[in-house]
Amino acid sequence: MHSPVNWALLGLVIDRPSYAYELAQRFERTYGSALPLSSVSHAYAALGTLKDRELVEELPARKTGRQPKPHYRATAKGMEEYHAWLIGQVADERRRQKVFLLQLTTLTRNPCNAMQILDDYEQACLDSSCTAPIARGAAGVPSSALELQAKLIAEEKRLAIGAKIEWARFARGELKAFANARANQAEQAGDAPGD
Amino acid sequence: MGLLELRHVCKRRTHGGRTVTVLEDASLSVDPGELVAVWGLRGSGRTTLLRLAAGIDVPDSGAVFFDGRDLAAHGEEMLGRGIGYCQKSFRTAAPDRDAIEEVIVGLLVNGVSPGAARARARDAVERVGGERLARRSMRELDSAERIRLAIAHALALGPRLLLIDEPVAGVDLHQRDDVLLLARSLADEGVAVVMTVGELTGLSGADQSLTIGDGELRGSRKRALAPVADLGLRRRASG
Repeated sequence: MHSPVNWALLGLVIDRPSYAYELAQRFERTYGSALPLSSVSHAYAALGTLKDRELVEELPARKTGRQPKPHYRATAKGMEEYHAWLIGQVADERRRQKVFLLQLTTLTRNPCNAMQILDDYEQACLDSSCTAPIARGAAGVPSSALELQAKLIAEEKRLAIGAKIEWARFARGELKAFANARANQAEQAGDAPGD
Repeated sequence: MGLLELRHVCKRRTHGGRTVTVLEDASLSVDPGELVAVWGLRGSGRTTLLRLAAGIDVPDSGAVFFDGRDLAAHGEEMLGRGIGYCQKSFRTAAPDRDAIEEVIVGLLVNGVSPGAARARARDAVERVGGERLARRSMRELDSAERIRLAIAHALALGPRLLLIDEPVAGVDLHQRDDVLLLARSLADEGVAVVMTVGELTGLSGADQSLTIGDGELRGSRKRALAPVADLGLRRRASG
């Protein structure tokens, strides 16, 4: 299952058994624009997929007099696979970052170009650090799960951007040393008598 | 022109017979109501940058302007007269003195009358959210409270530019953000605030985030500043 929306819906079912319409609403409250749900019908389709894979199961219908809304809860398999998927995200993120770094460092043949990109990258990180939110009343314990979530996300963003800025500083030093070494080699080659 | 401007500033320092370039061709412009956070490692020149901005140190070349005045010609005289400077650690000669008394003494030293000093000190302490620390002795204050007091000390003199050296150094994780929010709120009130930080998380919420190190001040998003020589020509022409 590749759809991050489906995994996110599974996470919400693990948090609390629910029915499709309510899940769609919780999904929008939780993920907002960070992970858009195309429509409520997506939640119905996702629950079908999760059920087929035995990640969720339908709860026995309650007698309400109205047409029953099927409620779903996570199975033990669902909890296990969700956990594994979350941890797998770390490796995915590392892969994305590695691709970016490979793209950046392919330019080391021309240190001036690489330095310019590195400068722009650092500037983007610095700009991003300005917008990293500071939680008001940070000294207190969060009063709700949503407040805790916001606090954890804010701190992760700040630390992650900080690491990128430090890396840019390190890379600049390395790039400069590399460029200087190349220039020295070229100079020495130029001084050497020709064959 | 910004309220504070560093134009092509170079500054070197000698440590143990070795000369180190702290800043090479550094430019910065800070407007009223702007919060600028500068991150650097220990020994990167963070404090030197603030001392230059305060007029305590003079650049080897380039110039520092506060409110259009070249600080090289005014030395430290703008300190307490438009510029407030909070040093890294707020020390006192009288650790048993009440915190608010410490602010009052600072005002008296600067020629404020005793009656006015008391009212201004109270306002400044309230402004930094330090009502609870006002009647405690300096000895009893933790790092976060000391930095609040240092800021109150500077604010009491009504600065338009506030320079704060490492406000979150030694402050625990939970109080760190409250101190950063205080700096943000002072900027929102219209004070130009420049602070240095040793942790990158301290850059959050700033209008300009900069890094300092290896002689470079990086990250200023302001347009390139005109050379000092050009500025001099313009000033002479307009004068």
